[in-house]
Amino acid sequence: MTDGDQRHESVPGMPARGAPGQALRLDELLTAVARGDERAYEAVYDLTSGWVLGVARRVVRDPALAEEVMQEVLLDVWRRASRFDPALGSGATWVMTLAHRRAVDRVRSERSQVSRERRAATAVIDYDDVTETVEASLDAERVKRCLTSLTELQRECVSLAYYGGYSYREVAELLSVPAGTVKTRMRDGLIRLRDCLGVQR
Amino acid sequence: MTSDDHELHTLAGAFVLDAVSDTERASFSAHVAGCAECRADVSELHEAAARLGTAEAVRPRPELRELTIQAAYQTSQLAPVTGKRTNDHGTRRPARPGRLHRLRAVPAVIGTAAALAIAAGIAVGTHYADQQGQRSLRQARMVSEVLNAPDAVMRTAPVSTGGMAIVVTSRHEHMGVFIAHGLPALPRARSYEVWLMGPHGEQSAGLLTVRAKGMAGPVVLGPMSPGDMVGLTVEPAGGSLRPTSAPVVLIGPTSR
Repeated sequence: MTDGDQRHESVPGMPARGAPGQALRLDELLTAVARGDERAYEAVYDLTSGWVLGVARRVVRDPALAEEVMQEVLLDVWRRASRFDPALGSGATWVMTLAHRRAVDRVRSERSQVSRERRAATAVIDYDDVTETVEASLDAERVKRCLTSLTELQRECVSLAYYGGYSYREVAELLSVPAGTVKTRMRDGLIRLRDCLGVQR
Repeated sequence: MTSDDHELHTLAGAFVLDAVSDTERASFSAHVAGCAECRADVSELHEAAARLGTAEAVRPRPELRELTIQAAYQTSQLAPVTGKRTNDHGTRRPARPGRLHRLRAVPAVIGTAAALAIAAGIAVGTHYADQQGQRSLRQARMVSEVLNAPDAVMRTAPVSTGGMAIVVTSRHEHMGVFIAHGLPALPRARSYEVWLMGPHGEQSAGLLTVRAKGMAGPVVLGPMSPGDMVGLTVEPAGGSLRPTSAPVVLIGPTSR
């Protein structure tokens, strides 16, 4: 755990940009959005739209489609704000869970028409640019650094699933590794990432 | 921990990365619901995975801001989930669709079989209303609204323990109706419970009472969100706060 000494400065779900304490503020803003507070929603948009677009771009890859996904997710945030429960996790994680799920749903329905060969080829490209961050920030640097603390297989499994939108079975097929191994590597990889990032609840 | 539990436990990483099938997602959610330790683990892993996403932040085109915000203001919000149990849908105002609703309309699928099932549903609804009085009349009205919605879509699936489940949903109404037939009767100590299983957990839609010929329902589902799946589980009599067993049938999701 190379980053153990930095634990104290990490805020759960710390945003990619912005001041410490923003995460807590987002939780409060979401609670206000649940009551229909439009000002709060605008602030939530400003805090989260960049993350949502970022993950959508990585997963769906088509910039126009990614914008569509971003808008759907932000609408979802407005509609479902009452379902956000700070006791279950940070606001940033709640938003990113909605965002990733939707992006993955979208890319899977797009992909269902594409041949297996194409899929495999795309997967290679997916992985090649995993380490390329779209916008340099302290947080991005840190995530990048923490990803290198994973074993190669762990990193491949986590990246193909998160950024590539592949199921663990597809990852197993792509890497020619048993599905059971992929499942455990995903779990172990995330645990290592969690420890490196100092995520605490 | 049974071997099944162990099998599920290893799924935590794939679950958090959205790398599981819908069925696995539902079984895993049910497993986590009954395991406080798993909940804490999963929640931490979720935080870690989210950071993979926030690290990718890019600045959206400025014109999207106003578009998105205005679209949101035209869209109604889901009412808070107040209680532990959400049987009384009468107290929950179904979300009305916004003018700028971006969801694509789903064409109605009304084949002969569907028409029959819907007719059966209405008959069940009426019967239910007669028996239970005012509150159920309101329910029956909601049922008929869903069944008659121009965008109503019907899905059927066999129940693993016997019988057939039917879900009719209307995206326009943000609601659905659950009906089943041929369901095996349960021992006195058990109840069927219907769940909405969405991206952020499960929510009870109510208990399902089995009548003659295993006919059961209707249970009003809603407000529903795109992506919600509908599951049926067997619970201790009176129902549970969260599913305590794997679904005997799982239908959905309602989007795409």
